[in-house]
Amino acid sequence: MAFDNGARELTFWDEVIDTHPLTASSQALLPRVLTKLAARPESSCVVVLRSGRVVGVVTRQDLLKAIAQKPSWTKLRLAKVMSHPVITVAQSELSMVASLMQRFEQYQISHLPVLDTEETLVGVLEQKRLLLTSNDQSAEILIERQHQRAQLLAEITLKIRQSLQLKEILQTTVTEVQKLLNADRVLIYRVLPDGTGKATSEAVKDAYPAVLGMSFPEEVFPEDYQRLYAKGRVHAITNVHDPKSGLAECLVEFIEQWGIQSKLIVPIVHPLPPHESPMEEPVEKYLWGLLIAHQCDRPRRWSEFELELMQQLAAQIGIALSQGQTLEYLEERVKLRTTELTQANIALQQEIQDRKQIEAALRQSEEQIRLITNNLPVLIAYVDQQQCYRFNNQAYEYWLGQDPSRLYGQPISTVTEPSYYKTIQPHIEAALMGHQVTYESELTFEDGRCHSVSVSYIPHLEVVNTGEAQINGFFALITDISERKAIERMKDEFIAVVSHELRTPLTSLHGSLKLIATGRLGHLSDEGQQMLAVADESTDRLVRLVNSVLDLQRIESGEVTMDACTCNAADLVKQAAETIQTMAQQQDIHISTQLEPLSIWADPDYIVQTLTNLIGNAIKFSAPSQTIHLSLQTDETEYSGSANRSYSPGAALFCVQDSGQGIPADKLASIFERFQQVDSSDSRKKGGTGLGLTICRKIVEQHGGTIWAESQLGVGSRFYFTVPLSRDRVYALR
Amino acid sequence: MKNTMTSKLILVIDDEEPIQKVVGLSLKMEADWQIICASSGQAGIHLAEEHQPDAILLDVMMPEIDGIATFERLSNNLQTQGIPVILLTAKTGTAEKRLFQKVGVTGVITKPFDPLTLASQMAKLLQWRL
Repeated sequence: MAFDNGARELTFWDEVIDTHPLTASSQALLPRVLTKLAARPESSCVVVLRSGRVVGVVTRQDLLKAIAQKPSWTKLRLAKVMSHPVITVAQSELSMVASLMQRFEQYQISHLPVLDTEETLVGVLEQKRLLLTSNDQSAEILIERQHQRAQLLAEITLKIRQSLQLKEILQTTVTEVQKLLNADRVLIYRVLPDGTGKATSEAVKDAYPAVLGMSFPEEVFPEDYQRLYAKGRVHAITNVHDPKSGLAECLVEFIEQWGIQSKLIVPIVHPLPPHESPMEEPVEKYLWGLLIAHQCDRPRRWSEFELELMQQLAAQIGIALSQGQTLEYLEERVKLRTTELTQANIALQQEIQDRKQIEAALRQSEEQIRLITNNLPVLIAYVDQQQCYRFNNQAYEYWLGQDPSRLYGQPISTVTEPSYYKTIQPHIEAALMGHQVTYESELTFEDGRCHSVSVSYIPHLEVVNTGEAQINGFFALITDISERKAIERMKDEFIAVVSHELRTPLTSLHGSLKLIATGRLGHLSDEGQQMLAVADESTDRLVRLVNSVLDLQRIESGEVTMDACTCNAADLVKQAAETIQTMAQQQDIHISTQLEPLSIWADPDYIVQTLTNLIGNAIKFSAPSQTIHLSLQTDETEYSGSANRSYSPGAALFCVQDSGQGIPADKLASIFERFQQVDSSDSRKKGGTGLGLTICRKIVEQHGGTIWAESQLGVGSRFYFTVPLSRDRVYALR
Repeated sequence: MKNTMTSKLILVIDDEEPIQKVVGLSLKMEADWQIICASSGQAGIHLAEEHQPDAILLDVMMPEIDGIATFERLSNNLQTQGIPVILLTAKTGTAEKRLFQKVGVTGVITKPFDPLTLASQMAKLLQWRL
């Protein structure tokens, strides 16, 4: 480096200027820069360059501060910690020492990069070296204090950063400040919400009494003072006994007990705790406490440096308080949240437990259902609206060889023979319309045999929000009735055979008795004739009984089918009346008719049989010369006697009315059951079999009609039955 | 068809001997008709071929060849197809009566019959005058 200002000047500036300053890129990481500094202990700063131009200066103190304040300093680049914009000095200005000193003071800097006319760095002028070289003692003190302040601040900041424990921070502060200021006592005075106060941290020389832990009344620190300090007031009292100090006499007396002669008070303020802060900015600050320094051995004038130091430390304590309170707040939140989470966890555990219990109950329930459904000798299924299987019990596997898991979700139409599906389709559709369906069918089982089955479809109705019933599907129950059917067939065959075998000897017996009764085979005594008549009548009755049993068996077994056709109902009534006319005449009974010309859909032979049976009964239970009324009308005709009965619209209503002894009310419902005569002696007396009305009911029911009786004791009975009208309901008599 | 009141020859085909006797006595007493009896369908067909009766009273339920099968054989037999046949049956159901009429018999008389009116019932069905 060359200077143009003469030999003396050259010597001076050689001493003052570091002509080989440490330089580094603005993008250099801090650890690398520290390494460089460590290698050059005489260098007190690093000049930061970007593209060869000076852009900043970083001192050792700057680096120390950054390390203390930034936990992630190892990743920091120089650009983040350098002083910027940089203050420089031209090489040509170096002759004016006073001007340079002023520049250091003005910008509160310690280093000035020296640039040549090309703006190239030629060295670094350090304030400290300039002052030392110019033998200025006050400057040396100033430098030393600046250094101490920076050092202390950095150390305390580092300690604050290292600890979140407020008590430790406060103690460190008072201890360090006491040492630095060489004060007799330094303490933290905590201002409590009720206006009183307490010394919470203290560093005091042994010669003086401690105030730590002492509480002070509100009067010591009135509210007016509190407000002033909250606004940032700093109060330095050189001599408490000096009337100019402005301290009240009583207060001076009060503080004398601790030997205080001089004191320096700076406020510690910080934002309100997070949970107390209003959401709106600016955040209100409040007076948390005071940082106080006491001098007890003498009055003391507190320097600007000391004031600034105390203020900066109070600010650091404020930050620490915020951090501590934030931590406290966070810890509270964490605690609260932990409690909430613990409770939630307990609730969750309970819920899990409940769910497990429910699941276990459901599993048990399902197992029981499966146990029951899989062991019942029936096919059980659930079919949805789309006719798809949603459940099949194990019997599907055993009986039909169909795996329930494979049937799941399959439409019935795809897992059954098309011809079979065609036969059951109407029943399925009826069930999905909400009708309960029962029918008999035949199914080929896995063993290849055809089994008779009884099938029931029960609609699954669910009441929805609107209150209406919605059909979700239906339950299907299929029972193997092959054995029952076989037994029924055996029974039918047995009855048929027995009846026939009975009838054959009866025919011979009946014929023989009739022939003997003619007397043409020889005459009998009167008693003989009477006995013969008894035998003849009994034989007749036996024949009728056998005939009725056969009739009933045929109808019930389905062996007989009603061969329905359109027929004239009035003709059928007349035909029945004619058939029974002989019997009526023998009993001196009159038959009257009142017939509407109606066309019905029925098997004429069976309707005549029903009518004949009912008229025959009416004759049997009528007294001589009485009249039996036969009527035929449509369902629209008002009929007061049938008010408590209903018959389907579109039906013909037949009525056989007699004026006989009548039927007790409690017998009216049961007379259509087998062998349920009003009085069994009547049956024998009247030659009935006890099966006639049962046969009538079966015939009417097979026509889709209804049969019932109304009666009044001593007045007579009315037997009604309905048969569906044909489409052309009024028979075209014309 | 013989429809005058000369003495008739009636063939009774029934496996029950008591029935044969009652029918025989009844027809003899009431109408003075002559009776020949067979106890099976096959025997009845032979007797019909041999004696050419005026009418046949044929039981329905018989072992081996039942009444309906016997009637079909008689109908298909040139020697016997002209002989009127009346079924005598214990089967009295409406459906059965319809079946018997359908096969083409002259009439059906149900068991047990009234021996005093059997001849007149037959005469009515055969359109004979007693």
